[in-house]
Amino acid sequence: MNTRERHGASVFGNVLEADADMRLPALVPPPAFPIETLVPDVLKQTPAVGQRVPRSDTRLHALGQTRYIEDLTFPHMLHARIKRAGIAAARIKRIDTREAERMPGVVAVLTGGEIPVNSFGPSLQDQPVLAHERVFHRGDGVAAVAAISEQIAADALKRIQVEYEPLPAVFDPLDALAPDAPLVHPPHGNVYASRTLRKGDVERGFAAAYRIFEARYRTQMVEHVSIEPHAAIAEWDANGRLTIWSTLGRITLGRADLSRTLNLPLNRIRVIGSVVGGNFGGKNEITQEPVLALLSKKTGRPVKGVFTRTEEFTATTVRHPFIMDYKTGVSREGRILAREVRLTLDGGAYCSWTETTLGKACILSAGPYKIDNVHVEARAVYTNKTVSGAMRGFGAPQVCFAYESQMDDMARALRMDPLEIRLLNAFDEGSASPTGQVLQSVVVKETLRAAAERFGWNERST
Amino acid sequence: MIDVALVVNGAERSVSVASETTLLELLRDHLQLTGAKRGCDAGDCGACTVLVDGKPVNACLMLAVQARGRSVVSVEGLATQTALHPLQQAFHERGALQCGFCGPGMILSAKALLDENPQPSTAEIREALAGHLCRCTGYAKMIEAVRHAAEASKP
Amino acid sequence: MKPFECITARDAGHAIELLVRYGADARLLAGGTDLLVDIRNGSREPRVLVDLSRAPDLKRLELADDLLVIGAMVTHTEIMGSRLVRELCPALAVAAHSIGAIQTRNLGTIGGNLANAVPSMDLGPALLALDAQLTIAGPMGLRREPLTTVFTAPRTTTLSATELILDVTIPAEGFHKPMAFLKFGLRKGQALALVNVAAGFWPHGSEPVFRATRIALGAVAPTVIRSAEAERFLDQRVIDPESMTAAGEIAAGEATPISDFRASADYRRELIAVLTSRALESAWRRARAEPARKSA
Repeated sequence: MNTRERHGASVFGNVLEADADMRLPALVPPPAFPIETLVPDVLKQTPAVGQRVPRSDTRLHALGQTRYIEDLTFPHMLHARIKRAGIAAARIKRIDTREAERMPGVVAVLTGGEIPVNSFGPSLQDQPVLAHERVFHRGDGVAAVAAISEQIAADALKRIQVEYEPLPAVFDPLDALAPDAPLVHPPHGNVYASRTLRKGDVERGFAAAYRIFEARYRTQMVEHVSIEPHAAIAEWDANGRLTIWSTLGRITLGRADLSRTLNLPLNRIRVIGSVVGGNFGGKNEITQEPVLALLSKKTGRPVKGVFTRTEEFTATTVRHPFIMDYKTGVSREGRILAREVRLTLDGGAYCSWTETTLGKACILSAGPYKIDNVHVEARAVYTNKTVSGAMRGFGAPQVCFAYESQMDDMARALRMDPLEIRLLNAFDEGSASPTGQVLQSVVVKETLRAAAERFGWNERST
Repeated sequence: MIDVALVVNGAERSVSVASETTLLELLRDHLQLTGAKRGCDAGDCGACTVLVDGKPVNACLMLAVQARGRSVVSVEGLATQTALHPLQQAFHERGALQCGFCGPGMILSAKALLDENPQPSTAEIREALAGHLCRCTGYAKMIEAVRHAAEASKP
Repeated sequence: MKPFECITARDAGHAIELLVRYGADARLLAGGTDLLVDIRNGSREPRVLVDLSRAPDLKRLELADDLLVIGAMVTHTEIMGSRLVRELCPALAVAAHSIGAIQTRNLGTIGGNLANAVPSMDLGPALLALDAQLTIAGPMGLRREPLTTVFTAPRTTTLSATELILDVTIPAEGFHKPMAFLKFGLRKGQALALVNVAAGFWPHGSEPVFRATRIALGAVAPTVIRSAEAERFLDQRVIDPESMTAAGEIAAGEATPISDFRASADYRRELIAVLTSRALESAWRRARAEPARKSA
């Protein structure tokens, strides 16, 4: 049976099969999956639907019996702390750890030069395990200590002498784009990733517009503040096999990073992801795990590291601050005809999860609105600041702030109800995203209307 | 080293600790009661909350020596062999716990509230939990859970 | 934390002996809510802590000789819950309630709050507005000092290294005085004050007019301060919204707020003007709601 015949005219009228010349995939949405015919008696098939089910882990949480990493202890375990650079950009001229090594209670000290392969990262391997010759942000680790207590380890950090040659640093991504800006990772330029998205013809759209709105929106750096800090424990067995317990979320990736940085075959590495006290994207890559592994190897003892709250802010990833330039052309009725977006991501000292953030931000930057003409240019820029990485939304919250702010601005200027302008432009079933993906199960308008009713939108006073 | 004798969860305990040991370290490291958590070490997050003579305090800000002779209740002291405390039950059933890290502290503050004020208003529940940070739940279900536990305990 | 010795004082006298014996190596431990944080971040490194938690003579909370006496080790929770405080100077209870959260209020003390002397301290403005005095104990005995002269710079008081605050006294002239305390922080709980204000006065006469006005500000100068100019402006002036607004503007001019990452100086000045005016309005509402009491 021919699909078109069964469902009659599609949303797109009489458009036929995809044409090889067309740049976008098939515009005809696939037929709605007829669940009813396949599963006639839904409730009988799936008695779980509609049931209230407590989470499987909360009983232990409520009892206080859940074992997070910091709750674990092993015989002869040592405690590790990492010395943070405290300077945004510098060359390390000299590190002297002898005084720290001599302290009673200190069992081992580690510096960047001892890391077999001192680089890692989910896409660009531009981040060192411990800074070796250069420091790229204040939270960079420059040395680590394993001692019989956390306090002794912390005291030992103070006895490690590091001589820095300060280098010019850059803190604003727009400053970093200037032609004479200091290079964060020379010889590479400061733009380390970029994306372009094009759909239709924005110039044509702007030419046909009744009015064009331009604005710049900025969002700030945000730290996850999971109540549980980053923590991990490393231990080796006599067969040369490493086991890591960690708050790390992506343990397969972590295992690959450990294999690379320690120059160890994968089959010698076991990573155990613990029950975690909050991640939100902040525990998506390794931080101290290779350091703990090497300290454990040096000492022959399990080594535990728990970040301080300060380290959570300076030495773990944060959400990218965005600078977003939006140019939007609308018809007299408020329909969006064209949208041009420039995104500048404050990419921090290392790449981390920026490429994913960049991609998502690009695709989502036009908003959930039917726009035929879209052009997005996005780039990530190095700065000598805390590493920007993954955080809930991966670029979505930032662009949402921008496009929704602009919707409100446009509604105000056109004297339209902010709800109406959105209903006019929002996706429908079968709408195409800026990348041409045909969208299904679209309920934007239904949700807006239901919310408006629930919140008493029409009864509001102003 | 100093000797500290105190009551923990109804049992008399005696430990020998360094003077600078906090009540939190005494519980976690010396008595293996790891329910109280170290979230910030500065009295800002509430994850270390325990009850001392019935009153919620930040265990990270109290020295073990100051707890001498006092009665401390940690989350481990709430359930019996056969049943969860009504607050633990309510938090578990009502979706008030996700990662669970802030849970023990929250539950103890809620217990201190209900011990003193068995039928609190929503505002009073909010105040009782105001010294706790939670990054997962958004607090709403916790407030519901406390109200539910209060309802369930009505004579 | 770095190791230190902790000695529990039997009473105030014993604490002073320990301060004398250990000198600069020693620090008093009250609630620990500031001191332990300082020790952890390295800004203080005492070798000896003198624990005051078991000194009974620091826990007075009573009326004596026409003075409300609040011992230095009385906690913020105890102040909030005290029937005496709530009856005689409720603004102080409100100020205590605005501090931190339940857990920190159960540990924190009035003596600690005062001795720590941060400009944003919450009890400071209320106590200044109540004409509070400190009873200070040292090796030479006791002395009294009005709170107005105790703070000399951020985190600095006139107490010597061998002195401690025995108690805070509030004179009867402040009892039942219509007074309000307002605090503005970036959050509703667990917040440092951007600005805090205590304002009170006795309505006098048939018009009536402001008498014995006290306006005290926190977090907007190196120490908590009285707004003497605003107080003088209001003295004998008819009580009305315009005078309150004007007083707020004057108080804003007397302060020297800084710009920092929390707020600009301009914004703080704006806050001072608004909060002062609101505190005066609130005190006036209280005055009208309660039956005529002793007035100046």
